[in-house]
Amino acid sequence: MSRLEAKKPSLCKSEPLTSEKVRATLCVLKGILTSSYGPSGRLKQVHNGLGGCVCTTSQSSALLSNLPVTHPILKILTTSTKNHVSCFSDCGLFTAILCCNLIENVQRTGLTPTTVIKLNQHLLRLCTNYLKSESCGCRIPVDFSSPQTLLCLVRSIVTSKPACMLTREETDHISALVLKAFLLTIPENTKDRLILGKSIIVPLKGHRVLDSTVFPGILIEVSEVQLMKILPIKKSNAFKVALFCASLSGDLSDTGEGTMVVSSGVSLENAVLEQLLNLGRQLVSDHVDLVMCQKVLHPSLKQFLSMHQVIAIDRVGVALMEPLSKVTGTQPIGSLGSISPSSYGSVKDLCPAKFGFKHFLHLIPNEATICSLLLCNRNDTAWDELKLTCQTALHVLQLTIKEPCVLLGGGCTETHLAAYIRHKTCNEPESILRDDGCTQTELQLLTEAFCRALESVAGSLEHDGGEVLTDMKYGHCWSSQAESPSVVNWPDWLSRCGCGLCNSQEELHWSFLKATQHPIAPQTCLPHEATGSSNNLTLDCFTAKLSGLQVAVETANLILDLSYVIEDKN
Amino acid sequence: TLCTMAALGSAKAALQVTEVLETILSRCLGPEGRQVLCTKPTGEVLISRSGGCLLEALHLEHPIARMVVACVSSHLRRTGDGAKTFIILLCHLLRGLHTVIDKEQDSLISKNIQTHRRHWKNCCQWKFISQALLTFQTQILDYIMDHYLSKHFLCRSSLELLLEAYFCGRVGRNNHYFISQLMCNYFFKCMACESGFEEVFDLVDDYFVELNVGVTGLPVSDSRIIAGLVLHRDFSVYCPADGDIRIVIVTETIQPLFSASASEFILNSEAQFQTSQFWIMEKTKAIVKHLQSQNVKLLLSSVKQPDLVTYYAGLNGISVVECLSPEEVSLIQRVMGLSPFILPQASSQYEICNTASVKFCKPLTLRSKRYVHLGLISTCSFVPHCIVLCGPVQGLVEQHEGALHGAFKMLRQLFKDLDLSYMIQTSDQNHTSSPLTYKDSRESNPLPEIVNGLIQRPYQGTVVKNKGNLAKTQTYLKVYSNLVVPSVELETCIPCSTPKVTPTDTYQTNETLRCLAPTKTRTIDDNEPFIESNSANSTAENTGIEISSENLQVTKIAGKGNMLPVREKSLEMCTSQSYCCSTLPAGCVLPVGGNFEILLHYYLLNYTRKCQQSEESVVSMIIANALLGIPQVLYKSKKGKYSFPQIYIRTLHALQTSQPIVSSQKGLESVAGKYQLLTSVLQCLTKILTIDLVINIRRQPREMYDQDSDEEV
Repeated sequence: MSRLEAKKPSLCKSEPLTSEKVRATLCVLKGILTSSYGPSGRLKQVHNGLGGCVCTTSQSSALLSNLPVTHPILKILTTSTKNHVSCFSDCGLFTAILCCNLIENVQRTGLTPTTVIKLNQHLLRLCTNYLKSESCGCRIPVDFSSPQTLLCLVRSIVTSKPACMLTREETDHISALVLKAFLLTIPENTKDRLILGKSIIVPLKGHRVLDSTVFPGILIEVSEVQLMKILPIKKSNAFKVALFCASLSGDLSDTGEGTMVVSSGVSLENAVLEQLLNLGRQLVSDHVDLVMCQKVLHPSLKQFLSMHQVIAIDRVGVALMEPLSKVTGTQPIGSLGSISPSSYGSVKDLCPAKFGFKHFLHLIPNEATICSLLLCNRNDTAWDELKLTCQTALHVLQLTIKEPCVLLGGGCTETHLAAYIRHKTCNEPESILRDDGCTQTELQLLTEAFCRALESVAGSLEHDGGEVLTDMKYGHCWSSQAESPSVVNWPDWLSRCGCGLCNSQEELHWSFLKATQHPIAPQTCLPHEATGSSNNLTLDCFTAKLSGLQVAVETANLILDLSYVIEDKN
Repeated sequence: TLCTMAALGSAKAALQVTEVLETILSRCLGPEGRQVLCTKPTGEVLISRSGGCLLEALHLEHPIARMVVACVSSHLRRTGDGAKTFIILLCHLLRGLHTVIDKEQDSLISKNIQTHRRHWKNCCQWKFISQALLTFQTQILDYIMDHYLSKHFLCRSSLELLLEAYFCGRVGRNNHYFISQLMCNYFFKCMACESGFEEVFDLVDDYFVELNVGVTGLPVSDSRIIAGLVLHRDFSVYCPADGDIRIVIVTETIQPLFSASASEFILNSEAQFQTSQFWIMEKTKAIVKHLQSQNVKLLLSSVKQPDLVTYYAGLNGISVVECLSPEEVSLIQRVMGLSPFILPQASSQYEICNTASVKFCKPLTLRSKRYVHLGLISTCSFVPHCIVLCGPVQGLVEQHEGALHGAFKMLRQLFKDLDLSYMIQTSDQNHTSSPLTYKDSRESNPLPEIVNGLIQRPYQGTVVKNKGNLAKTQTYLKVYSNLVVPSVELETCIPCSTPKVTPTDTYQTNETLRCLAPTKTRTIDDNEPFIESNSANSTAENTGIEISSENLQVTKIAGKGNMLPVREKSLEMCTSQSYCCSTLPAGCVLPVGGNFEILLHYYLLNYTRKCQQSEESVVSMIIANALLGIPQVLYKSKKGKYSFPQIYIRTLHALQTSQPIVSSQKGLESVAGKYQLLTSVLQCLTKILTIDLVINIRRQPREMYDQDSDEEV
């Protein structure tokens, strides 16, 4: 039913960024994001006054999806971050904080949007070109022959989510599990294209984190009663599997657009059931051991199958269909009539398993790239956070396979990049100023704003009142303990830089990150095997961070370019 | 309330409304324009610089405003460009009209006339003006375009420059170069041969939605072009295949159903039910087997197929894609020349099977969403390619989509001929009221003597041949007589000396297309200077190149007598000799930056000086001045040499002394688009002026039933 109603006129506001209210809300959002950033970030408890569960988190995806944002400008910022996270899982907070910093810093310069956008674009290109180039000083190639770098990468991700509430031992355990789960998804022999499998995360809440494990194959949750019916499973070398995608509940399939007239005395139910039992007979005569159905199995058919020692599991759900078909090598059957023998698959072994109070049927494949990660954590919120973390880590590992390099973490990439940009614009401004009508002063102002924005992201990692410094040789980020004396011998107070690559015992000079930075040409600090520094590095995903940087600058440009906001009040 | 509305008058109200709109839209105009954020009631956020979008998003309430918006959107539907310019021009026109009317009122109408009567008197005045506008639009505008402006047009357009200028006004400043490059590449990749470029424009415009994929969360710079067609859905069944992959399209379910629509299936026994089901299964199996025997590897279906069909397809190594949209089906049909597979009714006859080959058929993953990627083999001049548009937020992706679609609309329009027609009085008796008097032309008679001999010859020829057209020919010469640069004269004199219809179509397309290729930009640059050279000093050199290329043409003409010029408009004299038809050839462009507006302004001013009828001259004057509003906005932020007054004076000076016009901008824009915009604005203005009263009623709007037709029945 349509209702004719006059539309209300929209509300049009000019120069939205100059409004005090917008600035204040942006500032609040930035405060929330920066305080959650990094391993020592503070947790946020989001709870809905109208009900629902309380979410304790410091991750951008959970935070932003729970945070209702009303102002359109903030909406742009948060959606762009959320979109980035849904593409790359990682570096969401980095993107959002950098974007906020850029908007704030650029506004302070008072340059016109045209100039700002042009120059921002140039600086971004400098950054991306540098990060992609061979000479990049904050990028490390991944050596797939040893798990060390990948393990560091996973551990950095796990430690950066404090809401998982993990101890050091648990962190190591989870990191190793995630890496193992990922390695199980890599096929052993590939021809031309590498097609990764899937790790299925199986929840087990209320248990110790150290109980978490990873299995090859699939765990299907079954009720205890069901399991009792199945047991004992007869021993065999291989189990023949049939997987149905069509419903086996006995409902009549699509009969067409016309009408169907059934004479009295004719029972369609019986006819359909007869058909189902025929199907059951065929399955039995084909020596099928396990029948799984995406939808519902008719009780009579179930009964019939169990009478013939065929294990029947129904309501598997659409999400498990693809992994199941992959693990067993079956083709989902959509017919109630004759079944082609080629549709059947097999599993190597089938065994019942009990974890905590949950019963599972474990399908052990001959050879497949599907594995199950049984994830435990003490309570619901911590488990949710841990699940997100593991998903992020698995995704990051996939991205790293595609682009086999990692960036230095702990703020070192940001400070190093800022030093590089300063150096570049100070020494070769012509390359940027050549084609645009911008002056050198404008370039310097904007470079400062841009580099400060990057450096403040690195600075946001420190939450305990310590000083953040940068060294004058590599441009890495260092943070000192709180309440260090004003004049100190820095090498004694600092041990390692943010990423853990540089040692303070080297001949280095430091300056406060907040102080005026002089342009230096940052050098590359290589990992030394001898010092063992490569074993405990903080690393970031290259693809995610690069894209996050680009998205942050593009979003900031977009927001700075807005001259009006038209709000539809309907 | 009725009285207050009446007193306000529609023109006044329109001015108030458009002034508000102008302040908003002028900030988004041109290369310096900024973005606007629009929120929808659903919570979505849209980023836009397109005038059409913004006007729609504002949900204007005032009836006049709504009429203006309707005019703008109907203009946009046709041309895809110019909404912002529309409003700015309309605003300036209304402002100009008001100042003129106010002046007259002060002098003519005494104070003691009642306000009510004054209003009706105003309305009469508006009516006269709107009639004058109509005359202007139908006669004067085309005349000026054809006689004066056309000599400045460039018919060789570089696609790159055109698109860059277009996107400057449509997308964010940091992206316009990237997007225009993307579109350029896309166009050249899609074009199988040069002659088929019009088909490419048509096809892309019609199926734009199907030919692009939006991906959010990635930076804009990740956008790219991929060969083949991407369907916005995943495979229902995927069987990897290579070699000769044949596809079929079906529009109904392959599995026969119990009963077709409007029929009855009577079931008498359980056995009957089981046999029918068995028959259905066997039949489905047979059809799928038959498809397999035809080497079909992919089944495209516009409907959802039953599980049985997908199962059998999978068993036979046939991939299935279901639920294609009608547009996707028709695109595939058009590109491949493939018609849907008709399911055989009889049991065993399926010899005739419409299949076609594809190069590949594979899944494509973009941002963890799966798509179907088909390597269609085209049978037309469109080679299918898709644009993957990335952006951090959906709003930005949509903006880029909209801009790209608009650009294809603009190009489609640009490469169509535009007909111009106007009245021209050639007989001697009417000379006083003709746009240019006979007297003028006689005065100009001796002037061609100073022009070099090359041009004189064809000119002499026409005079001898068409004595009846003497006045007209001379009129032409009057206009161009004091030109200094010979090349320009060649251009303009040739058409009038050949009173024959030129079969321009084939020539034009070849000509313009050759210039479309990006590698050819150099030659275009060489040819451009005769309109935009850097300084007066360098004119000689630049035109030197121009002359050398033009001379070739001229000698040909001299030798063969009535050899047809390659890139000129055709001029046709109708039997009455007073009605003149002419064509603005496809692909005419001018440099951006208000060039069209300033040129038209200049020639209109010249025209008003010679014009005797007061109404016409007043209207032309108002239009001429209003046109300047556009460049004023464009150069608002520029200072010094590039400020508007400086540019205006320079251009006018160049026109008066017949020097080439110096343009600071490289980009190009379509003349036809500008012309259509001006006519649309004038039509809208006429509409506004003819309304004398806005009656405000408050009642639930009724549904629009076609009552008349009911009565007729």
